[in-house]
Amino acid sequence: MINPHDSVIVRTMSRMLIPLIQLFALYVLFFGQYGPGGGFVGGVMLGTSLILGILVYGRDGVPCRAARKLMHGDGVGLIIFAGVGGICLVMGGQFLNYSSLEIPLADDARRRYLGILMTQIGVAVDIAVTAISIVFSLSPINDTEDTEPSRD
Amino acid sequence: MREHLPIIIFLIPFFSAICMPMVGAKSVRWCRPIALLAVFAMCVPAVVNLVLVLTEGETRYAFGGWPISGSTSSAPLGIEWVNDRLASIMIVALSAIASLCLIYSGPVSPRSLGRQVVLYYTLILMLITSLTGIIFAGDLFNIFVFLELAALSGYALVGVAGDRALIASFRYLILGTLGATFYLLGVVFFYATTGTLNMADLAQQLADKPDLLTNKAVIGGTTFMFIGLGIKMALFPLHGWLPGAYTRAPDAISPMLAALMTKVSLYAWVRIMFWVLGAKAEFGQVHLLTLLGIFGAIAAVVGALLALSQHDVKRMFAYGGISHVGLILIGVSQGNETAFAGSMFYLINDAAMQAGLFFIAGVAIYHHPTRTIENLSSLRNGSPWIIATLIILAMSMIGIPPTGGFFGKWHIILGAIEAQNYWAVAAIIIATILTMAYFQRLFVRIFSEPEMPADAEKVETHFALRFSIAATSIVVIAMGICSDPIIRVFRDVAQSAGLGAN
Repeated sequence: MINPHDSVIVRTMSRMLIPLIQLFALYVLFFGQYGPGGGFVGGVMLGTSLILGILVYGRDGVPCRAARKLMHGDGVGLIIFAGVGGICLVMGGQFLNYSSLEIPLADDARRRYLGILMTQIGVAVDIAVTAISIVFSLSPINDTEDTEPSRD
Repeated sequence: MREHLPIIIFLIPFFSAICMPMVGAKSVRWCRPIALLAVFAMCVPAVVNLVLVLTEGETRYAFGGWPISGSTSSAPLGIEWVNDRLASIMIVALSAIASLCLIYSGPVSPRSLGRQVVLYYTLILMLITSLTGIIFAGDLFNIFVFLELAALSGYALVGVAGDRALIASFRYLILGTLGATFYLLGVVFFYATTGTLNMADLAQQLADKPDLLTNKAVIGGTTFMFIGLGIKMALFPLHGWLPGAYTRAPDAISPMLAALMTKVSLYAWVRIMFWVLGAKAEFGQVHLLTLLGIFGAIAAVVGALLALSQHDVKRMFAYGGISHVGLILIGVSQGNETAFAGSMFYLINDAAMQAGLFFIAGVAIYHHPTRTIENLSSLRNGSPWIIATLIILAMSMIGIPPTGGFFGKWHIILGAIEAQNYWAVAAIIIATILTMAYFQRLFVRIFSEPEMPADAEKVETHFALRFSIAATSIVVIAMGICSDPIIRVFRDVAQSAGLGAN
């Protein structure tokens, strides 16, 4: 059972830190094309920011409820990834061949850039959900609410 | 359109798997129909692909349009999928057996799942997806990725039943991870020496520079890869995880694991052995194939011996599978096209046989609550066709015509005689006699019991179970009757792998 933390310092600090972590996660995600970073790292940071919220505000806090909603979208990240690949396939290129994406006003390099960015967003969403689902599986929080926790 | 078929085959189960959690959040009842639809839909492009490959030749798929081994302009940078005759036949076998297993799994699937059934079907589809990936993979690292993905789904599926299955699943997890680690270590050694992971490119480099084969890193890498895949394919001294995992796994899952997991790992090794190292690879005067043959012979005999000493039906069949992996390895290692064609034929046939045997074991547990050979006579309360199928499958396991098992074994023995490996012939015959012995034990138990009491209730076997059991027996017999054209295709495959008459 995860109980809300009662220290004022911890609660205030995490209220300030969580948005910062999320902002930095987005920066890492979009900067991944030019420097260290990318979908995986960005996704881990997004996930961690929510995990911090769950640990500090407990199971009735906003982050935990948001995360529980998020868990229903388990496969969304992968769908974005496979969807972008599939669009490339439909548009006549190979799977994940971004240069066949028909994006208006974009040359070949730009198309590849946007294609990679979209798949990386998919990866980030997926990793974030996975990180949260690990926390849910390891803690007695019941992520579906409407079923009894099974003990076997 | 044609060259995209492999990725379409792959995307069907993959897409269904990742959509499953969302569908499941709405209604749990939709999960099973979607999973069934996905595997049926997978069969169609698989068959089309097989026909196209047989008539128009192989294709290679370049992910993202990056250069692959066939392109002349630059080094193979991209991920490559090879869609040749062997792979396309394996894909048809995979999708057909996966559909049968899913049809079968309906009535016997674990009941205590609740909402977790969503994850259960996601894992099954993920398993099928990753096995597709292993079959098509054209570079060493991709095989690792999909091997690990398949194993992860496998661990979870074995543990679904809870209780003692968790122990078996944990054991499988430890050994399976060890296997994957060894395999990856081998891949890293290869990468360090040659700088490439693409199979065709690696084979080219090994052919161009023969002294690479005496390089310690390459020898070590091959050894590690073999040990890693040996654990995955449950080759005899490394088989520790298999009997427990298959026995304790839910009845709906063990046919799928038994039929597909070890066979696909074996297929991966065949790919590396013949399409990367080459059939004539020698390490310090030791011919690699001879070594493989010895391992195979030991596994074939000891596996059958261990099967003879079991009381649990599922465990007995699991050891039978270990014995057959050895048999296939003997065939692969004879170094001529007859034995190679025979063993590849046997591999597919064995997948059908293993699925069928575990179907029957599952029916015995589901309808006539019995796990042990001692109580197997209660099968007589059920449909007579269950026992008839058991007889057909036993004929195939032993190798009696007109079943597929006979023709596979026959060609392996012919190949071994051609290669003058008489000890291999002896090992196959001993394994056959032992197989006969353990089926003898089974049938003695079933038939020697006195008449059933007249008031014994007849048990009506569920339609899905009857259907899938009948289908496997038909497949086994059809494989036997149509063995000639199939073996001819595999002979061509053997020639392209450098095993032609020389």
